[in-house]
Amino acid sequence: MAARSATSMRVRAGDGQPQGGFTALVTSLPGLIIARLLILAVFLLFWEYASGTLISRFWVSAPSAIFGMLVTWFTDGSIWPHLEATLLAMGVGYLIGCGLGVGCGLMLGFLPMVQRIVMPYVSGLYALPKIALAPLLVIILGIDIPSKIALVAITTMFLLLYSTLDGIRDVDRDLVQTLRLMGATRAEIIRKVLIPATLPWIFTGMRVAVRYAFTAAVLGELIAANQGVGYLIEANAGLYDATGVFAGVFIIVVFSVAMTELLTRVEGRRAPPA
Amino acid sequence: MEPVSAALPEKINFSGVGKTFFVRGTEVQALQPIDLAVRAREFVALVGPSGCGKSTLLNLVAGLLQPSEGSVTYDGKPVQGLNFRVGYMTQKDTLLPWRSAADNIGVSLELHCRSVSKAERAERIAAMVDLVGLSGFENHFPGELSGGMRKRVALARTLIYEPETLLMDEPFGALDAQLKLVMQDQLQRITQDRKMTVLFVTHDLGEAIAIGDRVVVFSGRPGRIRAIRDVTLPRPRDVFRMRFSEEFSRLHEELWDELKDEVVKGTDI
Repeated sequence: MAARSATSMRVRAGDGQPQGGFTALVTSLPGLIIARLLILAVFLLFWEYASGTLISRFWVSAPSAIFGMLVTWFTDGSIWPHLEATLLAMGVGYLIGCGLGVGCGLMLGFLPMVQRIVMPYVSGLYALPKIALAPLLVIILGIDIPSKIALVAITTMFLLLYSTLDGIRDVDRDLVQTLRLMGATRAEIIRKVLIPATLPWIFTGMRVAVRYAFTAAVLGELIAANQGVGYLIEANAGLYDATGVFAGVFIIVVFSVAMTELLTRVEGRRAPPA
Repeated sequence: MEPVSAALPEKINFSGVGKTFFVRGTEVQALQPIDLAVRAREFVALVGPSGCGKSTLLNLVAGLLQPSEGSVTYDGKPVQGLNFRVGYMTQKDTLLPWRSAADNIGVSLELHCRSVSKAERAERIAAMVDLVGLSGFENHFPGELSGGMRKRVALARTLIYEPETLLMDEPFGALDAQLKLVMQDQLQRITQDRKMTVLFVTHDLGEAIAIGDRVVVFSGRPGRIRAIRDVTLPRPRDVFRMRFSEEFSRLHEELWDELKDEVVKGTDI
């Protein structure tokens, strides 16, 4: 993300200023894309050349082989159940996690006494690497998608719980006091001040959590699964098939890039009212 | 001529009210014990250097603070908990940033305790927008308004639900000189019409005399009352021209003598 904003800044800085040679090429958008593709091409060509000559194909496979495998997966349709499993685990888990996280966050935020009592446990669980729960979830929920959904939901839930709670803590007490003096009830304060003031925090949490949800889904599949992109990688690794591993990783990379791109767009469009 | 309020009952009473704060373990006396009685429908202007406890007085009436000594009564009863009879316009404009100017102004009318119909709400908001000169900016968010405009939104928001008592903490401080006069004029009209009691904190002695029935001059920290004068200029007053009247000049000179020492002494004005 940092790299992205840096390049877009450079594009803006170059606008309207006459510059020559390489800088001019890179500061125009088509030029920038060409430069990026060039690097990719050089990298792939070197990989293709090195594979089998500098390093054994067994370890690094080759771009042509990986491409071939991807074509096979997509033409024979064998990839779809895996993609579907990963996306389903991620999507459902994410939604459940967001709901639970916001719900618990609001509840703790509105009930300061309860918050004081349970917070040590919440932060303790938050600090726990959630992936450590994966084996337990498999034991309880089975090797299928539900255990992945649970892992994603737990990961997402904690992120949303904290952003919601931070949002409530950040609410300007003077706003609350102003409404109280006007005669607002507790419920009205929650509805008219606390929730609207917390919404931007919740949205930020939801945006951040998308990436974590995806990671959790794939990690869960890597640990124990019978389908999913993570499982695909793990299964091919078990067969010492580097081509299959790389093909799986490639799918994840494409997916991550698409997701990051999409989220950045959403972020850009969401102009705050103030 | 006697002010109208002379015959009216007492609304707010401070008797021996002092306030001490603890700032990082040190005792800071904000207000030395003071006595002050405010009658119903009276417009009392409080003037004094920064940090003399004027805002503290307002907070005590609103029930946001409890006095360290003495007692504050409202309608004869001690103020305990929040005082819902007052409308408080604080120094900081506490507008809701996600609501447009119009929706900020009307927020009190949405509350269950008033339950004003949507149509009436829109009507009253429109009247207020007009009154404070915000036409054309109704749909702007606070972040898109200038400091002076935000102050006017805050003023309209406080006036719209017609609280029986107004507490105002330097409401016109951020406005330019001309607009300030216009707002003073509007405020005295509204508070007269609606028979409101007003405690009005200001730095501006001219403003205090122009709109107050009584002017209370405070000394610097720790605050105490240095002088109280009745302003017997008849109402409705012409805030635009009264500055040239004899009584205004006399009062201004007299009170300025009191205030001057404090201003010179004060380091933070």
